[in-house]
Amino acid sequence: MTPGGAINATSIPIASRLAREGWDQGAILLSQFNINALSILSLAAVWEISGRLFDSVLIPPLTQIGAAWYKLLLGGKLLPNLAASLWTMIIGFVLAVLVGIVIGLLMGRFRAVEHFLDLYVNSLMSAPTTAFVPVLILWFGLGVQSRIAVVFLFAVFVVIINTMTGVKQVDNVLLEMARSFGAKEKETFLKIILPAAMPAIMAGVRLAMGRAVKGIVTAEMLLTLTGIGAMIMQYGSAFATDALFAVILTILIVAMIAMKLVQMLDRRLTGWKVEVAVE
Amino acid sequence: MVEIERVSKSFYKTVKDRTTEVQALSNVNFSVHANEFLSIIGPSGCGKTTLLKMIDGLIPYDSGKISIDGKQITAPGPDRAVVFQTFALLPWRTVLANVEFSLELRQINTRERTEIARDCLKRVGLGDFENHYPHELSGGMQQRAGLARALAVNPSILLMDEPFGAVDAQTRQLLQEELLELWQRERKTVIFITHSMDEAVYLSDRVVVMTPRPGRVAEVLDVPLARPRVTEDVRRDPKFAELTNYIWHSLKKAMDNGHAGV
Repeated sequence: MTPGGAINATSIPIASRLAREGWDQGAILLSQFNINALSILSLAAVWEISGRLFDSVLIPPLTQIGAAWYKLLLGGKLLPNLAASLWTMIIGFVLAVLVGIVIGLLMGRFRAVEHFLDLYVNSLMSAPTTAFVPVLILWFGLGVQSRIAVVFLFAVFVVIINTMTGVKQVDNVLLEMARSFGAKEKETFLKIILPAAMPAIMAGVRLAMGRAVKGIVTAEMLLTLTGIGAMIMQYGSAFATDALFAVILTILIVAMIAMKLVQMLDRRLTGWKVEVAVE
Repeated sequence: MVEIERVSKSFYKTVKDRTTEVQALSNVNFSVHANEFLSIIGPSGCGKTTLLKMIDGLIPYDSGKISIDGKQITAPGPDRAVVFQTFALLPWRTVLANVEFSLELRQINTRERTEIARDCLKRVGLGDFENHYPHELSGGMQQRAGLARALAVNPSILLMDEPFGAVDAQTRQLLQEELLELWQRERKTVIFITHSMDEAVYLSDRVVVMTPRPGRVAEVLDVPLARPRVTEDVRRDPKFAELTNYIWHSLKKAMDNGHAGV
């Protein structure tokens, strides 16, 4: 793929040169967007060609997947399933973010809380969350609560750890300054610790978003066959690979959109940090 | 008047499970008159910053007494404000919002807050930069913002912890001049930590020379230079050279004694 490579190699310096010369963000984004598009197009081309070349059920050509996707869309199965999965995921994710931030703030600020909890947080953070699925079934049954719990468990620990790290890394001089000007604990929390830790918290939220997507698909495949996860299992076992890939692509697109949304939120909350990074 | 009477302070330092006691300050005694500009000079690690934090009420002292107009200090109070060596500005706030921070904590309403903050920024020459973020400003300008934040709460005592230590030499001289002008106008009590001898002499009414750890007062010097002091004239004054030279010898003697004691 020499032509593609050549374009890649020259496009990046152009983008950064535009940035240096003070061109507007749109121009730079456009060229980044171009490279992204090029990357997707080349993958699509390789896929399509090899799919037609091997003519195997294992690699259905992209056009065939597209057709299957269209059929799923028209058949009225994809969107309702997707909506159900997303709804469950969002509940689990939001709970994980809220609980994670609160626990992380407390662990970062108070030594005693940290020592009390860090054993569990650290071990659960690195444990394979899937192993807890049977336990969750026993606790919560096979309903939606279990799936929410899986998403929660997948997502909560990265939020806790990142929030805690963020709180601990708050510059001591800022805390001293606040105290010197008469800040009480609550004001210190709201005006110093929370904003100072926000970049780290948002990094945790970003990771949690990705983990929540994994969590919901895992839950739907392992717990009760519903939503997107059920579709994957169903088409997988029926060797309907075109439909299977159509669902997987849908998940990828949803995950990408979710990450973009979190990124936008991040920019909004920690814009001051991004500006620093650009310099 | 700020009175520091027989103040001592030790820290506990733990290195590899072994805790040792380090004496930072030993029997420190001096007082600062109202509206006086007093500098504290001493070698690194002599506890001068610790002393300043104790006057602010940020950390407790082990023994002795620090009082302001007869009232013993136990916590930070509205009569004092610190200008920090590393500026301690909030990077997510604009300069104006940084100055407003100290006022927010005093429950002053938004309109008045902005008014006071703008006025303070003008007084330190930052009037045109209120919407800038700290990282967009030079070190000297950041410290002006730090000074404006301290002035905003209208303290009677300004505590300055090597405020110009982190800026380049030219800016430093400029800031010193401006600080003196400000002090001349507003007549606050200033306690100024430095390790620059000519800074101490140029600015101060009196200079407290401290010994290396554990910090003690080696001597307290009067600076009999006329005010208002203009940089060029003062620095050419033979008395200025004589005084800095004297402090140099005083510091050197204190350090030699310190080492002999170890």
